[in-house]
Amino acid sequence: MRGMSSVLLIEDDDRIRLSLTMALEDEGYTTRAVATAEEGLALQRSKPADTVLVDLMLPGMDGFECIRELRRDDDVPVIVVSARDDTHDIVAGLEAGADDYIVKPVAVKELAARLRALRRRARPAAAALTVVAFGDLEILPDAGEVRLHGDPVAVTRTEFRLLCELAEHPGQLLSRQQLLQRVWGYEIGDERLVDVHVGRLRHKIEDSPGTPRHLVTVRGLGYKLQR
Amino acid sequence: MRVGLRTRVSAAFAIGALLLSACASMVSYELARSTLIRERERTAVRATYFDAAVVHAGLPQNSSDIGETLRSLDTGADRYVLLHRDGQWYSRGADPSAGSAVPAALQEMTARGDAGAQRIRLDGHAALVVGIPLSSGVFYEVVALSELERTLQLLALVLTSVAVMVAGGGAAVGWYVTRYALRPLTAVADAARKIADGDLKTHLDPDTEPDLATLSVSFNHMADQLARRVERDRRFAADVSHELRSPLQTLSAAVSVLDRRRDGLDPKAAAAIGLISDEVGRFQDLVNDLLELARSDRPAHREPTEMRELVARACHARGLPEDLLELAPATPTVWPVDRRRVEQALGNLLDNAVRYGGGPVTVRLARTDDRYVIEVDDEGPGVAEENRASIFDRFVRGPAANARGDGDGTGLGLSIVARHTAAHGGTVSVADRPGGGARFRMEFP
Repeated sequence: MRGMSSVLLIEDDDRIRLSLTMALEDEGYTTRAVATAEEGLALQRSKPADTVLVDLMLPGMDGFECIRELRRDDDVPVIVVSARDDTHDIVAGLEAGADDYIVKPVAVKELAARLRALRRRARPAAAALTVVAFGDLEILPDAGEVRLHGDPVAVTRTEFRLLCELAEHPGQLLSRQQLLQRVWGYEIGDERLVDVHVGRLRHKIEDSPGTPRHLVTVRGLGYKLQR
Repeated sequence: MRVGLRTRVSAAFAIGALLLSACASMVSYELARSTLIRERERTAVRATYFDAAVVHAGLPQNSSDIGETLRSLDTGADRYVLLHRDGQWYSRGADPSAGSAVPAALQEMTARGDAGAQRIRLDGHAALVVGIPLSSGVFYEVVALSELERTLQLLALVLTSVAVMVAGGGAAVGWYVTRYALRPLTAVADAARKIADGDLKTHLDPDTEPDLATLSVSFNHMADQLARRVERDRRFAADVSHELRSPLQTLSAAVSVLDRRRDGLDPKAAAAIGLISDEVGRFQDLVNDLLELARSDRPAHREPTEMRELVARACHARGLPEDLLELAPATPTVWPVDRRRVEQALGNLLDNAVRYGGGPVTVRLARTDDRYVIEVDDEGPGVAEENRASIFDRFVRGPAANARGDGDGTGLGLSIVARHTAAHGGTVSVADRPGGGARFRMEFP
């Protein structure tokens, strides 16, 4: 791991962009900031940053579209930093492919903590397992691969960490809170993060996401992964 | 008290039916009565003529044998015969007063030589006297009409019962018809209830009940207006949120940059930065609380929630020990509640206990009388009786907050608790804790 990790900040408000850049530099992040999604995407292609922070309301291409574009290229961790705190926006942002959602105003210390947690997650988990099979679903923690019916499935790093965490406890219930702690590294967090990521995963690893066979919900308690 | 529409319509139906059936009954009764009586009279007159002929034929000159002649007539139990001859009355028996039953008018008529009949009352019963003048004397027959009377009484009884039954039937028809007519209004009432419960997309279909189309259209218009207005308010809250949050984000980040360099600054500047930093934090809390309050009238989104975990999380977030939780016996641990809002309400109660009550000592979960109860106890000074209602109003702070110190809240925390509890259809209250301190209690179905 490099000593300095880099952050790409896509934010159209000049003052926020400037102040956050300074504050993140103080926290030890090499920060590049742009005002539009188009610039951000171009910059990420030419000089990839370790993490992308993106606002939702942007001129031109909006934040949701920007996240989908970023996701098309690779699995760089993306955090939404938005003033919109409606459940509708949070879920839409996460469903577009973001790993986390932070509502403005966020204290810089909190933002730095989330970035660190994401970095930890971004590195492959040192799992002792080589291949875990759940029927037609195979997880290869070392290789960072997921296969369904033998075909590789493209998952983000957060989704992969979530799947590995569940796979390490086959058939065992994990509460949303436990998953937030183990996958996101948050002591306190928004449980919608877990729900949306589970939903996204289901679309990738279940034959019929509406009636999941592997990744099942235990009403009121949490989730478990089964054959 | 106003009588309901259904009752009024039913009563009108009943009265109408009663009037009609009573008229019909009375007419039928009168027709039947006159026909029957005429028939009876005709029969009686014919029988009397027959008897008179017999008597006339066999009438002896000797008056002592008249009784014998009369007795030879075949009369039933309900008639008896009289003969008036030479100023003397003869009957089967030797009753001299037998002729008193014959009215004077009839006697005069027969005296003129005309036959006649007249209805009289005899011992309380209707009877008919028929008089036929003979060559010597007048022959009378008194026919009791009690059987006819009984028949007419029975007929009257039957007709009255029919009238009453028809009136009852009318009331029943009225009740049924109004229920049918009012059914579309029940749909309107249901729709209004749904809207009150927060489902603003509720609409009435104007096509199902053409007679009520105007009502349906107005109702739908009202629902649309209401939804538009709610949406406008919601958007306003979101806009305010964005407009306030963006400058706050700049302030927060800029202050943190300054804060890092506080050591190199002169003491006054450092102190000023400290103040700004604190106030930015407070401002942030205020904005969050205001937005929470603005949105708190939305209906609760209930889902099964593991409450032990929720309490532990709320305590943990505030650096409070998790063993504050006390679970009353026979209390389920998974509750159907809006997880986020209950957690925030509990968090606000914990913050309140920290700020004004020296820290919470117990968080109690219980299920009593089919209601879910959350209680937060502290050992602080408690809440004075007169403040117990107003404490849940906006911008009301406890006495500890007068100092405006570091721990000052936004003054919105408890009103958010009240609104979140209300969104669950419940109530919040504060009482004395046994042994001193305050006990805040949320309860909801």
